[in-house]
Amino acid sequence: MPAKTTFVTIILIGFCSASGLLSAAPQTTDAEVNFSRDIRPLLSNTCFKCHGPDANTREAGLRLDSQASAIEESGAIIAGDSDASELFQRLISDDPDTLMPPPESGRSLTPEQIELIRKWIDQGASWGNHWSLVPPQQTVPPPVDLPWKRNQIDAFVMHRLKENGMQPSVEADRRTLARRVALDLTGLPPSADQLAAFLDDPSPTAYERYVDQLIASLQYGEHMARHWLDVVRYGDTHGLHLDNYREHWPYRDWIINAFNQNKPYDQFSIEQLAGDLLEEPTRDQLIATGFNRSHVTTAEGGSIKEEVKVRNVVDRTSTFGTVFLGMTLGCAQCHDHKFDPISQREFYSLFAYFNSLDGDPMDGNVKDHQPSMLVGSEEELNTVKTLDAQADELKRSITTLVEQWKYNEPDDPPAVDPQPVQELWIDDTLPKSGISEGAWTPTAAGGPVQMGAVSFVHKATGNQQYFLQNVEQPWEINDQDELFAYVFLDPQDPPREIMLQWNDGTWEHRAIWGENLIEWGTKNSPARLFMGPLPELGKWVRIAVPAAEVNLATGAQVNGVALTQYDGTVHWDAVGKLSHVPPFPANRSLRDWIDESIADQGKRLPAPLQKIITQDREKWTEVELAQLRKHFIRNIYADAQTVIEPIERQSQSLVKQRDELKSKLPSTLIFRETEQPKEAFVLERGAYDQPKEKVERAVPATFPPIPEGQKNDRLALARWLFTDQHPLTARVTVNRFWQQVFGVGLVETSEDFGAQGTFPTHPDLLDYLALDFQKHGWDVKRLLKQMVMSAAYRQNSAASSEAIAEDPANQLLARGKRYRLDAEVIRDQALAVSGLLVESVGGPSVKPPQPDGLWFVVGYSGSNTVRFKKDMGADKVHRRSLYTFWKRTAPAPQMNILDAPSRETCTVRRERTNTPLQALMLMNDPQFVEAARHLAQATLDTPDANPEQRIQWMFQRCLARPARADELKTILSASVVWLQQFRENPERAKQLISIGEQPASDKYNPAELAAWTMVANLLLNMDEFLTKN
Amino acid sequence: MNPIDRYLQLETRRQFFSRGAMGLGAAALTSLLPRGLQGATGTPEELGLPGLPHFAPKAKRAIYLFMSGAPSQLDMFDYKPGMADWFDKELPESIRNGQRLTTMTSGQSRFPVAPSIYNFEKVDNGHDGAWISELLPHHKTIAGDIAIVKSVFTEAINHDPAITYICTGDQLPGKASLGSWLSYGLGSENENLPSFVVLNSTWTGRKEAQALYNRLWGSGFLPSQHQGVLMRTGKDPVLFLRNPEGVDAKMRRKMLDSLNQLNQGTFDNFGDPEIQTRIAQYEMAFRMQTSVPDLVDISGESAKTLEMYGPDVNKPGTLAYNCLQARRLAERGVRFTQIFHRGWDQHGNLPVDLPNNCRDLDQPAAALIKDLKQRGMLDDTLVIWGGEFGRTIYCQGKLTKETYGRDHHPRCFTMWMAGAGIKPGIVYGDTDEFGYNVTENPVHIHELNATILHQLGIDAEKFVYQNQGLDQRLIGVEPAKPVRDIMI
Repeated sequence: MPAKTTFVTIILIGFCSASGLLSAAPQTTDAEVNFSRDIRPLLSNTCFKCHGPDANTREAGLRLDSQASAIEESGAIIAGDSDASELFQRLISDDPDTLMPPPESGRSLTPEQIELIRKWIDQGASWGNHWSLVPPQQTVPPPVDLPWKRNQIDAFVMHRLKENGMQPSVEADRRTLARRVALDLTGLPPSADQLAAFLDDPSPTAYERYVDQLIASLQYGEHMARHWLDVVRYGDTHGLHLDNYREHWPYRDWIINAFNQNKPYDQFSIEQLAGDLLEEPTRDQLIATGFNRSHVTTAEGGSIKEEVKVRNVVDRTSTFGTVFLGMTLGCAQCHDHKFDPISQREFYSLFAYFNSLDGDPMDGNVKDHQPSMLVGSEEELNTVKTLDAQADELKRSITTLVEQWKYNEPDDPPAVDPQPVQELWIDDTLPKSGISEGAWTPTAAGGPVQMGAVSFVHKATGNQQYFLQNVEQPWEINDQDELFAYVFLDPQDPPREIMLQWNDGTWEHRAIWGENLIEWGTKNSPARLFMGPLPELGKWVRIAVPAAEVNLATGAQVNGVALTQYDGTVHWDAVGKLSHVPPFPANRSLRDWIDESIADQGKRLPAPLQKIITQDREKWTEVELAQLRKHFIRNIYADAQTVIEPIERQSQSLVKQRDELKSKLPSTLIFRETEQPKEAFVLERGAYDQPKEKVERAVPATFPPIPEGQKNDRLALARWLFTDQHPLTARVTVNRFWQQVFGVGLVETSEDFGAQGTFPTHPDLLDYLALDFQKHGWDVKRLLKQMVMSAAYRQNSAASSEAIAEDPANQLLARGKRYRLDAEVIRDQALAVSGLLVESVGGPSVKPPQPDGLWFVVGYSGSNTVRFKKDMGADKVHRRSLYTFWKRTAPAPQMNILDAPSRETCTVRRERTNTPLQALMLMNDPQFVEAARHLAQATLDTPDANPEQRIQWMFQRCLARPARADELKTILSASVVWLQQFRENPERAKQLISIGEQPASDKYNPAELAAWTMVANLLLNMDEFLTKN
Repeated sequence: MNPIDRYLQLETRRQFFSRGAMGLGAAALTSLLPRGLQGATGTPEELGLPGLPHFAPKAKRAIYLFMSGAPSQLDMFDYKPGMADWFDKELPESIRNGQRLTTMTSGQSRFPVAPSIYNFEKVDNGHDGAWISELLPHHKTIAGDIAIVKSVFTEAINHDPAITYICTGDQLPGKASLGSWLSYGLGSENENLPSFVVLNSTWTGRKEAQALYNRLWGSGFLPSQHQGVLMRTGKDPVLFLRNPEGVDAKMRRKMLDSLNQLNQGTFDNFGDPEIQTRIAQYEMAFRMQTSVPDLVDISGESAKTLEMYGPDVNKPGTLAYNCLQARRLAERGVRFTQIFHRGWDQHGNLPVDLPNNCRDLDQPAAALIKDLKQRGMLDDTLVIWGGEFGRTIYCQGKLTKETYGRDHHPRCFTMWMAGAGIKPGIVYGDTDEFGYNVTENPVHIHELNATILHQLGIDAEKFVYQNQGLDQRLIGVEPAKPVRDIMI
């Protein structure tokens, strides 16, 4: 029998919470029970579902989320008397019919929890609002008598430790600290110089100086931005269906710059939420609004616009809630929130702030899903403007010319020359409307083309068909029209038959050339009209048939065409019809033109003119007549055309220049509000097509209201977040930064501060930091510095087994935090220590190598990201990981395997797992192997060093500390073995050292370099290297 | 005392699970740490989550053949003989009943009925017989082993939301996939292979195929080690499995021995149990370097077996190859294998593309059932076949006697299940004469998923994970019962 063990199952202790395990231990003492911390979560988890905020599922009219209902109205709880309290009696009932929670609910309370509730009732059943909805309280740091304390954070931490009879740890040694704080603030290890300078600095402020340098570096902003990219769900593709490229990186760069400039967090947020509504927004403030555009979008054929729109707006609203309020607003999309005081109506009132995007909810599969803006240099943007202005000027001159044209009706207009006119249906592209079937594959470069830029090449086995149908404006057949197409039959692979076919409601109109194998239609009828043998091979041939012969009479409305072949390879091009009736016969006389337009009911006219022409001409007003005249002169009248056309060509050429320039400039998605806010409604069960009552913009009643005296828009909402009495914004923000530095937030559920979230481990500290952050102008750099300067942060992370047993998750911070680094940090660190890292900031996303086929196996065939093509050159493949191209339906495995989210939705907290797939990647991924080889090269570049010295040098690069004697011995003995093995197998050595962007230089001995590469591979896989210590 | 044991002492396991603890962290701890330690310290006492399975499971493992693009039930299983008289006639408004259409056909002026051009045969299945189309000759030979469910329905009408819905229980991205739920809940029975494996197949039907998305086998809010592991064709069946060129197993072993020593030293200094875990995971990675190539090496399969799966079985990546792999994975205790096959989106030109895709599917799927059966594994292996929705009786695009297309149809479609306590040889549920509406025993996709979980010993309504303040379930918020009628 095989051993029954599991495969991938392990998660970091540091990540886990033993909630309540190490709180002030009310379970075991007679200390006063804290309602908010101890009781509310129990009620929420066990009772609210049926006795909570949601009126629709409330049982027996009892709600336990409200003091009024639970105590005063229902009498379920009699303060001070658990024996008389129905609620308590239900908890301990023997009768399954009255027992609460009901056994079938799957919920239950432990005896300890029930005891806690008893104690709380007996102590007087004190009530209070949910803690996070009460504004932060000014807290005084508790006095601390230990010299250990460095700043106020420590006072709070120390206090909690003392309550639990625990002691803090000593400060970590300088090398550990140097690496720890560099990784936390910049996501990179310290450079050799940085490290040496810090170690050699004898000043008592050496650490602070070191921290200041790190915070001032550009890498700080990159690292901070990387965390924010998860929050804003940034991606380089749209994320749904085709998952095409989305150009949005200027927004990513905006984030980096904002952190580097230390933009105050309130401004930082307001610009992202509502930069477009600021007075005369700057270019950068508009780029910032990409926040509300970063959600996934679709353009899937057949999607219903309103449904897509609702999904987009719900995402914006929920993300707003998670990021700024720490509230799971999305729960109230379909019904009142089960746990928190957010009604469904209130959800849609918030929704109303985000629903007025001036743009199509469907992304059209284009990179610049509107509204978007061009981001170029001032000069480039000016050129665009100038070209625009010039083109406009020309257009205006045409208008003036038309207006001032002195038209005289000729007495005897000359007859029109009936030139045949060719109308093309398919040339290079298919018509925009209608549906097409089959992969219309353009000919590869250099292939045969009859007209335009490309033709379509179809390869078939048996009978294969490509067609389009249901085009919006059908093509009308005129007398003597001829239908045609151009074909080029591959002489190497000729078809046996080709066929043209048209649809005017039915497909029974076919013309065939060749063997007559395709079994559709009655032979020798217009439904299967034999035209003759196959046209000549290897050259373009025009195949044509008079429309009448395939039973398409004058006036027939053709809405589709099909190209069919039996076997072989056929290039198709220029499909259309030739008409002998010129479209505008009366181009010499206004009077004639009006007569003809009336006769064909203005079919060729734009809608407003069509309306005029179909009215009784006796009733035309002067204005209407003038409109018709203007149209005639502008578009029809031959004399005028000879003057207008050259101007028009010039204008078109300017527009073309402008478009070419624009296509070279990057664009980025922005938010733009419609002039009038769109209406919003409560949507029954969240369904787009079930609007109920209309709602106005408002924030939920549980919060302080939006200050009056301003327009009630997104900008007001954004500013409201930063008003003094706001209970959540500062707490939620401070907590997320704490999580970034300490690995776990003071509130572990950093995405949920509601009733189902965790209670803070250090509530007073959280409030202190929140108010302090607010008081100091939302200064992010200051806040982070405050954290890393604390003694709590600087502690040694080593722990005895007793200490781990006491607080496995290290919630109380009796030691430094120790956890595995994030995906990006691990890769960047490997590139940095090996000297490969290219430290340029910003720009388009890059594609470092990844295994073949990862995009192709999942991608839609027609997507422009279906095939991954690795970038070339160090400046692309060795950039920091935050620049790696993020395809949301298949993110880079180097990120994904190490727990990076897909960025399809807002993520404020990553998991940390520990799996064999990670081990395989870190050992074998060519990028990591390449890094190992470069680290080996670097050590070999040091002349005259002995192996011990080389190992020490590498070790120090990786871990900022020298190897201990035992470590040195282990590594040295392995290196000797490898050297021997590679000397015996020189071919293997060569294989190993040629992995990567560039082969190794000849100056290295291959066996030696290969052996040292293995040493480096070993070091880059050490737990200590992958972990923040 | 071991901190984990201490931790577990403080709360009983059942409470942990039912309470869902506090969000991700604690729930993950409950599920994972006990198992995580196995790698470091020895044999586990149980698999998966404490308290799971909820009851004795019928299935130890499952194989899901997923047909992306939505196969036409009307040309394969849902026989509508009366439609022959309706050729090119308008679908009665009373049948369509104002139902929502995709915008691909909502603009059509007509909804002409397109009868299937394929012959159906009523095959003996040991009960009332099952109608199966000529496109699926091999399926006729397993009619007595499978339960055909003709009344599955969904609400989603476009591919991306619909496939996300059936695979993760929600139309929007961000939720955990079926396989990741199973991995999370039940763990694996093989220490050297993942518990959830995904195989993507090549296809010969419509070339322009709908996309797949990593989220379909992603772990969503569940810890990411539960995400499906994509097994690939070629030299690296699992990403980064092979040592770099030039490094042999001996060198890798030396590297790991040294690494273990170094990491043990770090453990001695820091005391962090996570380091022990890492050592165990590197060892597991090393074992995988042998076990995975063994898995994909089919040279030991008998000629008779290979023949069963058909001529494509030797072509890596084909459905035939993947069906054989699925059986091999099942043999090795892999909890859940999901095979994806694309190209089923027949909007037009159905008579050309559908037969090709059916040919890809037919023999291998039938062979999988027979192969499992002959090895006695069908008794505890659940096999599921189906797509994200069905297709319309009315024609999209060109309709002739010879050709037609069908648009998306969420209101009814056909799936089949077999093995592990599912009644063999039955046909369940029915649709109206147009195959447009369910007339008998509707099965919502949530109920289908609840059925899958049930056969694996899980009560879908109690299988909960706390995330973002919500009890997340594979089956969504509303109750969804397993379909007991199709169980033995």
